[in-house]
Amino acid sequence: MPKVILLSYVDRDSFIHNLNPLAKLLALFCAVLLCFLMPGFVYNLIMFSFVIPLAFIAKVNWMVFRTLRFLTILLVIIFVIQGFFYPLAKVPLIVLPFGFTLWEDGLFNAAVICSRLLAMAVYGFLFVLTTHPGDLVSALRHIKSLKIPFSFGYIIISTLQVIPRVQLQIATIIEAQKSRGLETKGNLINRLRSYLPLVGPLFSGGVQQAIERSMALEARAFSADTKKTNYRATVMRSLDKIIMLLLVIVSITVVILTRLY
Amino acid sequence: MGLIGRVSSGRSSLCSAFLGLIPHFYPGEFTGSLIVDGLSVNDSSIAKLSTHVGLVFQSPVNQLSGAGTTVEEELAFGLENLGVPHSEMVRRVNEMLKLIGLTSFRKRSPFELSGGQQQKVAIASVLIMDPKVLVMDEPTAQLDPLGSRLVFDFIKKLTKRGITIILNTQDINQLAEFADRVLVMDNGMIVRDGTARDVLTDINCLNSHGINPSDLTLLSSELKKRGLYKGHLCLTMRDAELMVKKVIKK
Repeated sequence: MPKVILLSYVDRDSFIHNLNPLAKLLALFCAVLLCFLMPGFVYNLIMFSFVIPLAFIAKVNWMVFRTLRFLTILLVIIFVIQGFFYPLAKVPLIVLPFGFTLWEDGLFNAAVICSRLLAMAVYGFLFVLTTHPGDLVSALRHIKSLKIPFSFGYIIISTLQVIPRVQLQIATIIEAQKSRGLETKGNLINRLRSYLPLVGPLFSGGVQQAIERSMALEARAFSADTKKTNYRATVMRSLDKIIMLLLVIVSITVVILTRLY
Repeated sequence: MGLIGRVSSGRSSLCSAFLGLIPHFYPGEFTGSLIVDGLSVNDSSIAKLSTHVGLVFQSPVNQLSGAGTTVEEELAFGLENLGVPHSEMVRRVNEMLKLIGLTSFRKRSPFELSGGQQQKVAIASVLIMDPKVLVMDEPTAQLDPLGSRLVFDFIKKLTKRGITIILNTQDINQLAEFADRVLVMDNGMIVRDGTARDVLTDINCLNSHGINPSDLTLLSSELKKRGLYKGHLCLTMRDAELMVKKVIKK
């Protein structure tokens, strides 16, 4: 079982990393909004390419394109489906035998959809790479009206960290059982049947772990009802506020300008 | 103070009770009273007790709260829960890192550390909350010899800090070196309470409660039986040195 890294955050000292998480969240929100409000697909592609200098400022460089691997198949499927089956199609591009027609409007629509996906994927991943989930929750907690509890941050971070560990353990258990003659070949039914006896120990082991971890949490005063502080401090500097304001102004301007022409 | 006894003698339960896990975490009956550092376990919350009592468990990895993506964050977690101001947190984290000798590891993920290092982080994570009593429930049981050594040396260092350490262990050799007082438990009761020297050299008592005396004590006892040695039974290495010198002189 391959080990999945769930915590995508990479720790760098960059201008973007040092921005308040709320500013980054607003930036992501604006990016998503923009790619839906701007007409056509060319603007979205321009915005997509804008992520490159941003990624370098954030010192994550080409990592920001890691998610695109998973998108390629989806993009191809979108082009095929939209190209052949776009409901409002009027302008044919290529007429193929067996009644299949490749529609120009369909391809155009596919391009719009795909450009949106690309832009959202890279900006979303840039956000994830540069924002520590604990910082995000801590910044969100500063917005008192949202009433986000302290445990929320803990749930997110501990889940992101503990799950890969549990996966490793499961893999170890399966390896151990294989060395004792666990059937890993054969059809799906047989394999599932041979894994079945493992479920019991896995669950009870998992429960045992959870109990031990909660005792450890208690030993760290987790259930104390004092006002919590944060070791990773997030601050809202005036720079962050200025950037947030600029983001809103620029976004509105861009939407207006692109829609006018 | 050492806490010894055979398996299922109730030692772990006693350790859990010190923090108030019994009765507040494990449901069940609680008769009598347990007072730790002036606080009654029955009447105080676990959170309150955690500032007076630190509890360290066997499994290094299951004690990592998972709340810290780096070692320093893991150490600070307890202080975050207590609402300690930021500057104080930083000061204590730096102090603890130096104490466990992992300052260069501060930005690493705690899950990447070896078992012994993780256990040291676990101990430091409770020590950072400044308890007067540190209870350790078989801290080296799940460690390899190297990790065991690492933690054992660290515990020895801790004995000089002036806090009360209660160490539950199966390894008499560990206790022999630095325990002041030893409690023997059997069947859920405390059956012997005395100085380390008295209890750990009392071979009959130890054997009757299913505990193996330390190798040095057994050695000196054998030598005594064969008339080669007439002094006290050995506990520490120093005793053994003196004993060997005496035996050789003959």
